[in-house]
Amino acid sequence: MAIPLTLSVNGEAYTVAAEPADTLLDVLRDKLRLTGTKKGCNVGDCGACTILVDGEAMNSCLLLASEMQGKSITTIEGLAKDGKLTPVQKAFVEEGGIQCGFCTPGMVMSATALLNTNPDPSDDEIKEALSGNMCRCTGYTGILRSVKRYKRHSGECTCKQEEPASKDAGKPKYDSVGVSIPRVDAADKVTGRATYTADVSLPNMLYGKILGSPIAHGRVKRIDTSKAEALPGVVLVITGADVTDTMYGVSPARYDEHVLAKEKVRHVGDEVAAVAAIDEKTAEKALTLIEVEYEELPAVFDPMTAIADGAPQLHDQYKNNVNTHVDHTFGDIEKGFAESHHVREETFTGNNVYQSPMEPHASVATWDNDGTLVLYSSTQVPHYVQYMMAHVLHIPLGKVRVIRPTVGGGFGGKAATSPLDLCAAILSQKTGRPVKMIYSREEMFHYGRGRHKQHMKFKLGVDRDGKIKAFKSEIHLDGGAYSSFGVATAYYAGSVVPTLYHFPAYKFDGYRMMTNKPACGAMRGHGVPQPRFAFECLLNMVADDLGIDPIEIRRRNAMTPNTLTVNEMDVGSCEFRATLDATCNKSSWNEKYGELPPGKGIGVGSGGFVSGAGYCIYRGQVQLSHEKPREHFQKRSIFPHANAIVKISEDGMAAVLLIGAAEIGQGSDTVLTQMCAESLGIPVSRMRIRSEDSDISPLDLGAYSSRVTLMAGHAVSRAAVDVVDKMKPYAAKLLDCQEEDVEARNGKMFINPKRDNPSRDRKGADNCCSDSAEAARCKGAAHDNPNRNRKGADTTIDDSRTIPWEEVARQYFNDNGPLVGTGCYKPPDGLGGDYKGSTVGTSPAYSFGTSVCELSVDLETGKVKVERFTDYHDCGTPINPQAVHGQVEGAIVMGASETIMEDVQFDEKGQILNPNLHGYLQMTIKDAPEIFSGIVDSYEPRGPFGAKEIGEGSTLPVLGAVAHAIANATGVWIKDLPITPEKILKGLKCVPGPGTMHER
Amino acid sequence: MYVPDIKLHNATTLEEAGGTLARYAPSVRLLAGGTDLLVDLKTGRATYDHLVSINRIETLRGLDENANELRIGALTTVTQLGSAPVVRERFSPLLDATSKMAAPQIRNVATVGGNIAAAVPCADLPPILTAMNASVALWLSGDERTVPLHDFFTGPRETILRDGELLTAALVPKPPPGFGATYARFGMREGNTIAVAAVAASLLLDSAGTVQDARIILGAVAPIPKMVKEAGDALIGQKADDDSFGAAADIAMKAAEPISDVRGSADFRRELVAVLTKRALTTARDRAKETL
Ligand SMILES: Cc1cc2nc3c(=O)[nH]c(=O)nc-3n(C[C@H](O)[C@H](O)[C@H](O)COP(=O)(O)OP(=O)(O)OC[C@H]3O[C@@H](n4cnc5c(N)ncnc54)[C@H](O)[C@@H]3O)c2cc1C
Ligand code: FES
Ligand code: FES
Repeated sequence: MAIPLTLSVNGEAYTVAAEPADTLLDVLRDKLRLTGTKKGCNVGDCGACTILVDGEAMNSCLLLASEMQGKSITTIEGLAKDGKLTPVQKAFVEEGGIQCGFCTPGMVMSATALLNTNPDPSDDEIKEALSGNMCRCTGYTGILRSVKRYKRHSGECTCKQEEPASKDAGKPKYDSVGVSIPRVDAADKVTGRATYTADVSLPNMLYGKILGSPIAHGRVKRIDTSKAEALPGVVLVITGADVTDTMYGVSPARYDEHVLAKEKVRHVGDEVAAVAAIDEKTAEKALTLIEVEYEELPAVFDPMTAIADGAPQLHDQYKNNVNTHVDHTFGDIEKGFAESHHVREETFTGNNVYQSPMEPHASVATWDNDGTLVLYSSTQVPHYVQYMMAHVLHIPLGKVRVIRPTVGGGFGGKAATSPLDLCAAILSQKTGRPVKMIYSREEMFHYGRGRHKQHMKFKLGVDRDGKIKAFKSEIHLDGGAYSSFGVATAYYAGSVVPTLYHFPAYKFDGYRMMTNKPACGAMRGHGVPQPRFAFECLLNMVADDLGIDPIEIRRRNAMTPNTLTVNEMDVGSCEFRATLDATCNKSSWNEKYGELPPGKGIGVGSGGFVSGAGYCIYRGQVQLSHEKPREHFQKRSIFPHANAIVKISEDGMAAVLLIGAAEIGQGSDTVLTQMCAESLGIPVSRMRIRSEDSDISPLDLGAYSSRVTLMAGHAVSRAAVDVVDKMKPYAAKLLDCQEEDVEARNGKMFINPKRDNPSRDRKGADNCCSDSAEAARCKGAAHDNPNRNRKGADTTIDDSRTIPWEEVARQYFNDNGPLVGTGCYKPPDGLGGDYKGSTVGTSPAYSFGTSVCELSVDLETGKVKVERFTDYHDCGTPINPQAVHGQVEGAIVMGASETIMEDVQFDEKGQILNPNLHGYLQMTIKDAPEIFSGIVDSYEPRGPFGAKEIGEGSTLPVLGAVAHAIANATGVWIKDLPITPEKILKGLKCVPGPGTMHER
Repeated sequence: MYVPDIKLHNATTLEEAGGTLARYAPSVRLLAGGTDLLVDLKTGRATYDHLVSINRIETLRGLDENANELRIGALTTVTQLGSAPVVRERFSPLLDATSKMAAPQIRNVATVGGNIAAAVPCADLPPILTAMNASVALWLSGDERTVPLHDFFTGPRETILRDGELLTAALVPKPPPGFGATYARFGMREGNTIAVAAVAASLLLDSAGTVQDARIILGAVAPIPKMVKEAGDALIGQKADDDSFGAAADIAMKAAEPISDVRGSADFRRELVAVLTKRALTTARDRAKETL
């Protein structure tokens, strides 16, 4: 029974009716609508719900609201006074302490509690104070920096502090590009204003929950929903019988999931029924009242067992549970091994890693009166969600409006349409009311879509000098119960291995297997990190065998620019060697490797990734997919992958960039804004970006395959150039000059007759549209580099011959109405070879990077402390260096964490043993290493302003570097992930002693 | 993930709390910080119909030192315990536990009484308190009894508490000269994680460095915080050196009754017990020597 409560929050007294068992968190969020305080786990593990009670930091999810009467509560909304951020808030904004922002309110509250009592904390004190706040994005580096430097932000001055001592090669050539401006969304995130999907509340809204299967494999015999329906507050219960027969998934060739189980359940947590009720608690209770009778079937959990004859079959269509088989041979593999001086064969095993974004998945669905579905979804791929909703619900894509509120991290876990999206839409359609659904932390693990655990058998042959002659890879991927991204994952596991080193001959045999566990999907580095880990380890072993330095062996095999790899991947710019040299120098590798005492280790790993997939996941046009016959695949994109509109306000003072690219914390809104401003010739401060609503912004394929900077960047710059081109006749008239001589920059238009093309604009590389008819449509953009009329920051402007940018825009508006530019981007035609599966791994450009890890191992307990990372990356031109470093720092901590501690564990019945943030271990700020991140000078002709990717590639060198450093410290190679203290201790028992292995 | 419907009672006196406890037993629990209880209720690991909040019973708060002992009120938070000058100066081995446990947000709420009474095998305070010869004060219907802490636990989440009985304080005797204690704990990561194995050890040395008394208590590797009497006894009369510590560690390891779970196998935990015992004894000896 509800009781009246009086709470003092942020200095205001609130009286609300609440249940005695309501937590403070729920009252703050649901009753007081103070949604800045986040729910990340609900059981004290993550700190997203941190608030202050009488000045002390506490987790509001573990406080009963009724116990808080008479206390003074402060939430994130109560920090900034009169619209002014506190110094520590300002520091988070300007020092790169924020990415997705979901952890930010809690972090800031913990930092505030610390600084109130200890204004000059040491690094260790800061780490201790923030040790209960988990962040998945930043690697804690920017957060630590923000708290350390908060005093610098205490003055009235909001001017930028000097850049950290030039970490980055090259000088900025532009006004807005190559500059570390604060994120455009940082102020909203640091004050709790940013609205995530779970914060959305619509009038008359219901709450939904999904019932998951308690068993790993079985037939659904009978479902009785009557008791649940009878529970007061329950509005609707649906089961498999109430949903369409249309299946969904990710790869069109393998749509194998029903919205709710039709006949079989295939893993614990597989969706069986869904409930809509007046609140979440009632919906949750209703789930316990649904009676389901199952006929339990034998289950299989191991891919090697699943492939055997007689193993339980998950799906009829995948014989022997083989979901995907890849059989690729390039070059003469037998000859390669025969000619090798040294051949080594090893097996490696990966782990079940989960993306674990701090924001749980959420969806809110409602239907407009005209039959349009409006879906708010915490997604990385609004377009694919739109496409899949249209497919499953049998409505035109045009009738689906997807709104992507602020997203609290994805890492691939939000890269597909979720059961929440589908169930919310169906429940809303059937009840006529908005429906909100949020996963609990446990449900997130049951939904899965994490990294595939891979069982890898590798064989590497090299000549006397360590040059690779042949490489053979056989991989079994544990796919879980459905296809999801898995077809692509299986191909990626093979195709992005040869982009780093020259392989004269390469054979890849890949099997993606079905097992009775949650489906695996695409996680940061999609399919590649585990093979990359294994390959880097094997290469280091071979280097040791031959007495060659591990960095040297990489130099000898390193990919070179403008190479078609053995599997026909088209590598353009490549500064891989520069990353090796820079990392070697910066880390003092030569002085340390082989010279450290037992228990101290140093190791190296390299990696690289695609800058956007060359092809769309579904290959056809944008149309109703279930009406569509499978189209014959041609090696070109049918429609542009990224599209942008730039709209100038009528007074010419503001530019609004409309693009569907998904900001999920990685910073795409910021870098796209920067590129747009640069190409428009106005300062970033005059820009706004609207990327969250498919009704407002044109199609972009979304945040996956590290595609946004390159692809959306092109579309944005082209749209901006389109605007400037429209303004030029007016400017030329006002300036009395030739149109070609007009340049726009810094909010001015002026004459620049000596304009010339930037010397690095390599020819023919930049391709907007693949045929001339389409080129005409993507007007103003074809074959132009967006920076074509830039000379560099040192251009001097003759003030007597300038006019305000806005004046020209107004003149345009007076004559023509709206000043709008459009732009789009299609990957180049013809990417990839002519063999089956040749499209996976294709990309306009590839990134490269090298990491050196230093750590210590407690040789008695096996405990690893990762101490330091030195990393250099070739990401092309960094659009925002601080954002690049933020991606690297986050990737290093995530990668190191998955190397030594992360693993979703199952029991013999397929139950997850650790579906929470205390059992599934991720690094805290106290575990995170010190990180040096550097960027090597590089320019990619196919990228906007020369840019490539950083988001996923940055993960790839990490795993191998950590494993190598552990081997270096202990003398033992641990070849199965995660490398836990227990495995290290076991390994230590089998070797003569630490330090022996690398003695040469 | 909601706390199910419960009846919440507010007690302002021990009598009220005890009375309500007795009336609704067994489906009733005291609510202190709630960091343990609310997680159990939300995850469905336990269900109760009634909770009795003791947070308004002021007599349960705070620290009180007299000539012989430190009395730690049950509602003292872990943060308060760890920052109290008396603890930092005269009962500093407790800091080994308070500083490693959970995270600030939890420590600011978690109470000493809750950490003991929850009787979770991996709880951080019971081992070091036991090593320091602590007792607990238990209150039932107006009477207070004092029980050595190592006799308090009967099993995982089970204690000798009777219906209607509350834990009011932990009592720690003042360490004599020659006494040294410490708590060594192994967690799977550096921050915010529970112990996978832990050892608290104390030594009482005479001026020649010979062991007069020794205690070794294991955390997280047995159904209860386990005092290994034989390991302590084996040290008595011995020199406090690596040999005797090694022998004691061996006994401690054999006495451990660990389980295998997601954090590690039983074998791994046994190995940790041996290492941690040696380390704890070494620190305890060094600390004991400082007081001589
Ligand atoms: C994220 C997280 C991390 C944690 N990490 C650690 C850790 O590292 N180490 C550790 O030891 N613990 C840890 N804990 C557990 C917990 O925080 C502690 O055990 C805490 O001290 C419990 O105290 P409380 O006041 O919150 O207890 P409550 O939850 O209020 O109570 C716990 C139990 O004790 C009973 N009880 C409480 N007070 C009394 C009393 N005076 N008399 C009789 N019975 C009483 C209650 O009825 C209940 O059954 C963690 C918990 C969380 C959520
Ligand atoms: S939501 Fe409270 S700690 Fe995670
Ligand atoms: S910024 Fe910390 S979780 Fe995303």
